[in-house]
Amino acid sequence: MVDVMSALFQRPNFLIFVIIFLWGLYIMVTRYNLVKKLVGMYLVQTSVIFFLVSISAKKGATVPILRSTTDTVNAIDYSNPLPHVLTLTAIVVGVATLGVALALCSAIYRTYGSLDEEDILKRLE
Amino acid sequence: MSRHIPALLFLLPLFAAISMPMACLKHREWSRPLAISVLGTMIGLSLVNLSFVLEHGAIHYDFSGWAAPLGIEWVADPLASLILVALSFLGFVALIFAGAGEPKNLGGRIVHFYVLILLLISALTGIVFAGDLFNLFVFLEVAALSSYALVGVAGGRALFAAFRYLILGTLGASLYLLGVSYFYAASGTLNMADMADKLPHLLISRAVVGGLLFMFIGLGIKMALVPFHAWLPDAYSSAPESVSPILASLVTKVALLGWVRIIFWVLGAQAVLQDIPVLLLIGVLGALATVIGAVLAFTQHEIKRMFAYGGISHIGIILIGVSQGNQTGFAGGIFYLLNDAVMQAALFFFIGIVIFQYGIRHVEDLGQMGKQAPWLIGSLVIMAMGMIGLPPTGGFFGKWYIILGALEADNYVAVGAILLSTLLTLAYFVKIFEHLFRTPATVTNPQAVETPVAFQFSVLVTSAAILILGLGSDPIVGLILNHALPPGL
Repeated sequence: MVDVMSALFQRPNFLIFVIIFLWGLYIMVTRYNLVKKLVGMYLVQTSVIFFLVSISAKKGATVPILRSTTDTVNAIDYSNPLPHVLTLTAIVVGVATLGVALALCSAIYRTYGSLDEEDILKRLE
Repeated sequence: MSRHIPALLFLLPLFAAISMPMACLKHREWSRPLAISVLGTMIGLSLVNLSFVLEHGAIHYDFSGWAAPLGIEWVADPLASLILVALSFLGFVALIFAGAGEPKNLGGRIVHFYVLILLLISALTGIVFAGDLFNLFVFLEVAALSSYALVGVAGGRALFAAFRYLILGTLGASLYLLGVSYFYAASGTLNMADMADKLPHLLISRAVVGGLLFMFIGLGIKMALVPFHAWLPDAYSSAPESVSPILASLVTKVALLGWVRIIFWVLGAQAVLQDIPVLLLIGVLGALATVIGAVLAFTQHEIKRMFAYGGISHIGIILIGVSQGNQTGFAGGIFYLLNDAVMQAALFFFIGIVIFQYGIRHVEDLGQMGKQAPWLIGSLVIMAMGMIGLPPTGGFFGKWYIILGALEADNYVAVGAILLSTLLTLAYFVKIFEHLFRTPATVTNPQAVETPVAFQFSVLVTSAAILILGLGSDPIVGLILNHALPPGL
């Protein structure tokens, strides 16, 4: 148990990731307001992006651009660009999803005059 | 030239989708012929691609010339090429159907309706060809975004179903991305082939097992596997009639194909047969899915929901097939996937026509149709034979090979589950036919005008395809067994 705890606190990024992820999931499940559900959904997406960024962080590393062509290249000096590129793409995907979701929300509001899930379900009956 | 066809198959619908709002700015009636001609060209290209791949082996396409582990790679192997032929064929027929029954209240936005369908097709092509786990995620999301919009496109009660679909689908996509980042953290690569080389040494890592579980839940939501299926019946039953065939036949099956790729091509047959009991997991869930889906289908009154649950139950049968861990079961599963795609399209064409022509949504009202459309009833009989699995149809041969594979693996529970779901499928089709034939035609519907040729075409072509898949099952299963099996199975 102590081992697990100490391992957890040595990697606070994992801890934060789990907290944000579960927080978002909790909001998605418990809130009836559709926009609040979207906030939860965005927290879940952001937590995964946070996880990707945090596993690729590197102390004392710089951007992967070669300063000169003659020096020997030490991979240790450079941070890995791939996770950051993935993160960018994931952010774009997340923004697109949120855009579609908000468009749906506004259409739902125009149709039902409410954003509360229970109200809408009552109207659907 | 032929080596570029996989990229062309993706770029064609994508560029058509992007340029359509401009090309059809003045003439919105051009959008339908444009979309149909794109899909027609895709059928031709995918056939050329399949014959090329069968002759010369898989095409590994490196985008902009960057070689595989660094660049983005597409793999057009025989399995992907075979699925793509089915995808473009069904997309073509579904577009012809959608054109005749396009949502009425769209007005000028009808152009965007076709843009969304073409985007969906191109994203599905991307999922089928992707040779890179992250690429798969991006295409899953593009396909999902276009399906959310397509479900909600006509407004009304479909909006809320689309919203629920979006919430669950995005949760699934986030879990899949989490699984991919676990795999990336463990292996340092995203390319499927490269990862397949590195993973055998990493199987003791908990990151791999955890990542696999997250990917499974994520893709399970996308393919509507039973504990995660809640979004599907609402979304597909309230989607516009012209949209649900294309969604029901393609989206869930392509997500399932992505999962098959991950377990057999990325993890490798060796690992899943010996080290990680993932085949047991999907076998058990598949058996549950096929029985529960069929029971739920039997209890429905709305025909569209009944067929949607039927689709959920058939996802289970495909999973049982691929989880047997032998060649017969795998070939049967993939063959059943093709069949199920065709059958789902046909069933949703049928119900779309019934709703358009007679305004019937519930099983109890089916009798009102009377005997006005013998071709429609005749093709429903063929679809029912396919869904139940009677001999001349493809459904029978798919189930036959899956059961043979299960017997080979001494897996009698799977055989029992398939037989039970077959009986339940029979039960709900008996319910449909009983209401269709026993109830007297009380109301002769004045709306029953002449059926558009596009409706007749789509239903008759897909019903014929169910029969043709059955009659031609030998060469197709032979093709899967000889060319499309995963390495080491």
